Amino acid sequence: MVTREEIKTLAKLAKLDFDDARCEAFEGEFAEIIAFADTINCEISGDNDTINEVGGRAEDIMDLREDEVRPSLDNEKITSNVESENGYFPVRRVVK
Amino acid sequence: MKYELVVGLETHVELATKTKIFCGCTTAFGGAPNTHCCPICTGQPGTLPVLNKRVIEYGIRAGLATHCSINTVTHLDRKNYCYPDLPKAYQISQFDKPLCYNGYVELESGKRIRIKRIHVEEDAGKLVHERGYTFVDYNRGGVPLIEIVAEPDVSSPEEAREYVERLQQIMRYVGVSDCRMQEGSMRCDINISVREAGTTAFTTRTEIKNMNSVNFMEKAIAYEFERQKEVYSSGGKIEQATLRYDEHTGETYPMRTKEDAQDYRYFPEPDILTVNIPESYIESVKASLPELPLEKLRRYTAELGIPEANARLIVKYKAVADYFEKAVSLGASARRAANMIVGNIYASIATEDEKEKFQIAVSAEEFAKLIRLTDEGKINTTMAQITLGKLLENGGAVEDYISMEELAGMGEDDLRRICEEAIAASPKAVTDFKAGKEKAISAMFGYVKRATQGKADIRKAEAIIRSLLQ
Amino acid sequence: MTSTISRLSALLHSGIISSVELTRLYIAEIEKQNGTLNAYVHKTYDEAIANARAADKLLKEGCTSPLCGIPMTLKDNIATDGMETTCCSKILRGYRPIYDATVWTKLKAHGAVLLGKTNMDEFAMGSTSETSVYGRPKNPRDLTKVTGGSSGGGAAAVCAHIAGYAIGSDTGGSIRQPSSFCGVVGFKPTYGAVSRYGLIAYGSSLDQIGPLTTSVSDAALVYDAIKGIDPMDMTSTDVSMEPTSLESGAKGLRIGIAKEFFEGLSPEMTAVIYGAARKYQEAGAEIIELSVPSLKAALPVYYIIACAEASSNLGRYDGIRYGFRAANYSSVDDMVIKTRTEGFGREVQKRIMLGTYVLSSGYMDAYYKKACLLRERIQAEMNGVFEKCDVLFAPTVPVTAFQEGYSGGNAIETYLSDVCTVPVNIAGLPGISIPAGKINGMPAGLQIIGNRFCDAKVLQTAYIAERDAFFDVEDVEGGVRL
Repeated sequence: MVTREEIKTLAKLAKLDFDDARCEAFEGEFAEIIAFADTINCEISGDNDTINEVGGRAEDIMDLREDEVRPSLDNEKITSNVESENGYFPVRRVVK
Repeated sequence: MKYELVVGLETHVELATKTKIFCGCTTAFGGAPNTHCCPICTGQPGTLPVLNKRVIEYGIRAGLATHCSINTVTHLDRKNYCYPDLPKAYQISQFDKPLCYNGYVELESGKRIRIKRIHVEEDAGKLVHERGYTFVDYNRGGVPLIEIVAEPDVSSPEEAREYVERLQQIMRYVGVSDCRMQEGSMRCDINISVREAGTTAFTTRTEIKNMNSVNFMEKAIAYEFERQKEVYSSGGKIEQATLRYDEHTGETYPMRTKEDAQDYRYFPEPDILTVNIPESYIESVKASLPELPLEKLRRYTAELGIPEANARLIVKYKAVADYFEKAVSLGASARRAANMIVGNIYASIATEDEKEKFQIAVSAEEFAKLIRLTDEGKINTTMAQITLGKLLENGGAVEDYISMEELAGMGEDDLRRICEEAIAASPKAVTDFKAGKEKAISAMFGYVKRATQGKADIRKAEAIIRSLLQ
Repeated sequence: MTSTISRLSALLHSGIISSVELTRLYIAEIEKQNGTLNAYVHKTYDEAIANARAADKLLKEGCTSPLCGIPMTLKDNIATDGMETTCCSKILRGYRPIYDATVWTKLKAHGAVLLGKTNMDEFAMGSTSETSVYGRPKNPRDLTKVTGGSSGGGAAAVCAHIAGYAIGSDTGGSIRQPSSFCGVVGFKPTYGAVSRYGLIAYGSSLDQIGPLTTSVSDAALVYDAIKGIDPMDMTSTDVSMEPTSLESGAKGLRIGIAKEFFEGLSPEMTAVIYGAARKYQEAGAEIIELSVPSLKAALPVYYIIACAEASSNLGRYDGIRYGFRAANYSSVDDMVIKTRTEGFGREVQKRIMLGTYVLSSGYMDAYYKKACLLRERIQAEMNGVFEKCDVLFAPTVPVTAFQEGYSGGNAIETYLSDVCTVPVNIAGLPGISIPAGKINGMPAGLQIIGNRFCDAKVLQTAYIAERDAFFDVEDVEGGVRL
């Protein structure tokens, strides 16, 4: 069972706001999904070897990208989804 | 009670690749904000990292230069934490399979500081706080780093300094980084604890992050050592904390502690395949490594007979050592070349940076020529120094400042001839000298000086005259 | 006549109709139907006309691509330079990517015409497309039913013939499941066969781009245009660039039927799949009954891995560089938290929380690492299966399209309906869903699964049914027909 404190800790890590009211509404649903995830432990008991491959595929070092510069994008393009200031991504520290 | 210091260092070194670790953007320092950026290094949705081969190559170079073993199968992991300078909210790093492990850095004393691991990762962007705003610049985001984690083997502030300087030298020697602390391309996190001398107990550590000056690091460790000793002596306890070192007061202060311990939730980076590194590749990198600074220092003193102080000053900069070795290979005497580099050339170079680059107007060829002339006694040391000064200032060749025709009369044989002339021309002085008037010999020096326009090595002339008069 | 790519392509190449004319027909049909269907969430008509003009020029120059001039759609999670791409989430409101996804770059080179971006579950997290911030798309076969998801908008658009074909993405069934619900063809290629560059990530090790089409031969044509290794995606693979040859016979084909896919399955759905297998058997194929025990763990393995990766992939939506930003806040950190809390929908937040949980210290071993180990076991067992047979037959979904709003009250049951599709993603296999029958008037898909990089085998097997008209699932009326 996941406690309210644990939910709050997870929310902090995930940068989500789970105040008491939201926790209240979420707890049951979350318990349900954790119980579902727990079914993984019913079937096959395994040890915890380190996982060292992604999908069992590997690449030889010689096939990696060469260190050759490619043009960067214009600053206007890079910042085109915000109201940039002097080329920066600005965030006002407090907005009330 | 006697206490001893235990210091562990984690050093971040920016790699001198042309492009970032996961995209083709330049790694050049500076630049207008967000101009060295692309969809990948600004974390645009849907983009994927494309690993730069040279990052792995440089990581291996760094590892081999610090006597590490190399993992022939390595992969990258995601370190998840949210901060505005980290555009993906995870840093691609390495967790359980670092590229390099189990190495060491040897100090001059022969003591080894063990290296636990070296892993590759990406740097974050930069934040500027101004006028109630936080401004984010991702130019540095995705610049490749290696993190070198040392075991807590350092036991004095001086050792910490030497370790960091050795590391700096080694990284520069093998060409993986310029290690400029003031530009942030090398930074250290230090863990400091104090324990009863002679014990092996683990005691509470404090941490100082992001030190970017060796001087301040040394001072900070010394301060923290004293502070912790005092706390223990008065029966107190050290709180585990991240500290900030104030460069002005020379004291450490606890930083505002975060409420929760971080939980980075490392897991294998699914967008990057495992990388296989064949043994043959590692061998080829090994074969391409230059002689390392400490080995060089030992060779210079033992085999070339160079005084340790000079040897250390030459070995300190790889470009200088290369220059020196080239001059020696062209026939210059090692001791004299070393002397003139340390005594004369260094005097003309203002900054450490310029020494590091060592771009001087005198080619190693001309320098060797000048030293050889001196070695052969064709010019004296003063003359050599004057000529070197001119060369440093205006460049060009030795011949531009010293007439070779004149020098043709300045070999050992010529000097002997002139000395004979001097004796023949000074019968009174010869008589006086033979009668025991030592000072009379100077009359003959005068002759030699005039005859050679001051270019002759008077000490040599003296030796010749004395032997002739005996 | 049904406007398949092959049919439209013949008309375009023979000059009977121009791409601009064809595009205008599609636009008119979208304007007529989309108000009801809600398949498109961003219309890109200006781009479409520009693309069509370029295609007409290419056709004149002798372009041989069968896709040249064909109007189509992209799912709203595929990046298009300067054109809104939002994953149907508030948090990406107004986001205009600054680059093109590789799949769109390739299709453009083939003369594709982009009509718009199609509806989906927010960040592809769902099986109904009902979590879209733009509201649900409707199933053209029964407007009270869901389209399935997450590529629901694409399936609806293809089904209603308001797109020549659609590009979708499939993390746990998101191409195949809506194809089954809407009665179209949906193909998920082998993981790595199609570049993911520009596909906004949900579960990176599972996500794969593929086509939704009206026919198997169309699926092969689109697959051929988008497949291949991409220097921008390290997980992409050097597959054969030869066009897929569809012709093959059923004789000697070994069809595997794994009993785990049929446990608890309704008699109606069992009948559809076994009926399909029988047709192949009559044509000369061999049926092999077998078992893949680890499939029982596939669902929790899938949800744990997908959510773990998602919790990391979705960390970047912080309001700083793009998309939605909360209006009021007391610090930068507070801005990030408010932006995410207001910007992500409930299902997405739930999956981020689950993913954070299974990766957090103390739970990592019990969930994430365990899931990875089981994933390896499933992959190993699947490898073994394909030593015994060439393809596996299974239902695409155990059921036909849900009634609208169903999953709202039945979250876990909806998850369970992914039981037949997720193993394919876990093992990185190719899988196709083709309409194979109807249950209570709604289409039911047959899923054909192949070994890794045996995409051609999957397409060939599916094509046998199309060529020899094994199944008769009638088309919906309306839309563009030529």
